Amino acid sequence: MQSADPIIELRGVGHQFDDLVVFENFNLKVFSGDSLVLVGPSGSGKSLLLKFMTGLVAPDQGEVFYRGQLLSTLSKKDQQSFLAEVGMLFQQNALFDSMKVYDNLDFVLGEAKPDWKSSQREAEIVKFLTAVGLDHVPQLFPGELSGGMQKRLGIARALVLQPKLVFYDDPTAGLDPITSRQIIQMILDLKKQLNATIVTVTHDMMRAYQLAGEIMVCFPRDFIKTGGKEETLHHSNAKVQQFIHGDVKGPLEAL
Amino acid sequence: MFKVQFIPMVLATLESLFTEGIRFKELVKHIDDLAYKSLNIIVVCVSFAAAVTIVEASFHMKMILHDDSLVPGFAAMLIVRELAVVVMALLLAAKIGAGIAAEVGQMKISEQVDALRLLGINPFNFLVLPRLLACLLAGVTLSLIANSVCLLTAAAVSVYELDQSVTYFMVAFRRFVVMKDLWFSVIKGMTFCAVIPLVSCYYGFRCEPGAAGVGRATTKSVVSSSIAIIVIDFILTYIFSHFY
Repeated sequence: MQSADPIIELRGVGHQFDDLVVFENFNLKVFSGDSLVLVGPSGSGKSLLLKFMTGLVAPDQGEVFYRGQLLSTLSKKDQQSFLAEVGMLFQQNALFDSMKVYDNLDFVLGEAKPDWKSSQREAEIVKFLTAVGLDHVPQLFPGELSGGMQKRLGIARALVLQPKLVFYDDPTAGLDPITSRQIIQMILDLKKQLNATIVTVTHDMMRAYQLAGEIMVCFPRDFIKTGGKEETLHHSNAKVQQFIHGDVKGPLEAL
Repeated sequence: MFKVQFIPMVLATLESLFTEGIRFKELVKHIDDLAYKSLNIIVVCVSFAAAVTIVEASFHMKMILHDDSLVPGFAAMLIVRELAVVVMALLLAAKIGAGIAAEVGQMKISEQVDALRLLGINPFNFLVLPRLLACLLAGVTLSLIANSVCLLTAAAVSVYELDQSVTYFMVAFRRFVVMKDLWFSVIKGMTFCAVIPLVSCYYGFRCEPGAAGVGRATTKSVVSSSIAIIVIDFILTYIFSHFY
């Protein structure tokens, strides 16, 4: 059930790098409770789309709204409340590599909740490290963790402030199928626990089906909302069919 | 994208000092990393630079004037006005400038800077300001230490190579060097040391992805800092010359 007002809305967004147009008059609404999955070929602008939604990158044209307010003109106070609602797993995890596993979460909590006592922070950190299965390695540095563990730490850091809106940029990149499935299951469990809205970028159709409320297939300047798993599998668009089946021959050859 | 220009970055960093304050934990960490851990390399290098200065000056004075009795005085003046602080600054540009550019550059390309921004943390306040303040402190302390070490080495070399006494060196030092020289040396040290983190962070923030990108950022940082130090040295020397 969607609430009336979108939590995030992109209106008439356009963006280009030199002569390469990536977005042209692009519109998107993300409603509270949604689980939107963005799939598509590399370079189609999926990660950039997440950065528009988080306000990390401003589009060349168009506007991004957060709960009906223009993101670029939020007051400092509103911006703080926006940032408090948002969590993100970055494509390369973006873990603070000079800090230990424990400190990566402690730093985030310390910044966001300066009035919390260290015992309060510790309880929260232990809860999240346990949830992602990293409670046995709090004193290791991120560089000493495996790829899957780094992803899980990234997820814990994205969620430790209990955000209402979480962006996952390729959460299963470079992971084996079993770990990928576990990571997606963990994302779904945590979404349920936190009652969060999630937007996920992935290249892996199996994981997209596992995650999706709704799938959007992204091609350069062409973004197609295909619906859930069954609707996507039977979608009539030839590019969508080529992409989801991984066919070498087809209309995407020309891109 | 998080695009950084030099002057706006400097202004934003200074503004954050007043609006957001100093992160003391970061400051202490960088004082240790940037200042304390540079001490040994500076002591070793400025000592040899001072020794070379005495030996070379003596050789040429003996060759031309057949007398090297003025060497301690001239050398002391050269050390306090130029040698100690410039050698120190160029060493710091290479040692800590490269490190800062590589660290900030790696943070930028691995999206850690974006992660900070998404936490509502001002990257200039978190990354630039503590390094700038640590380097300013390093500028004061290390320039005093570099001057002291240089002068001690110069005195030792004068005694053992030029057969002059410590007293003679001290008298020459007092005759040629005035208190103003020391103040100007410290001001130069602080100025040079302010340039290094600002230039290095700037190139770090503009780092392109990949190992080659980090390499280019560190190279540009060291080269630009070194050029800036030499140009600023000329400007400050010119300005200070009006005070004698």
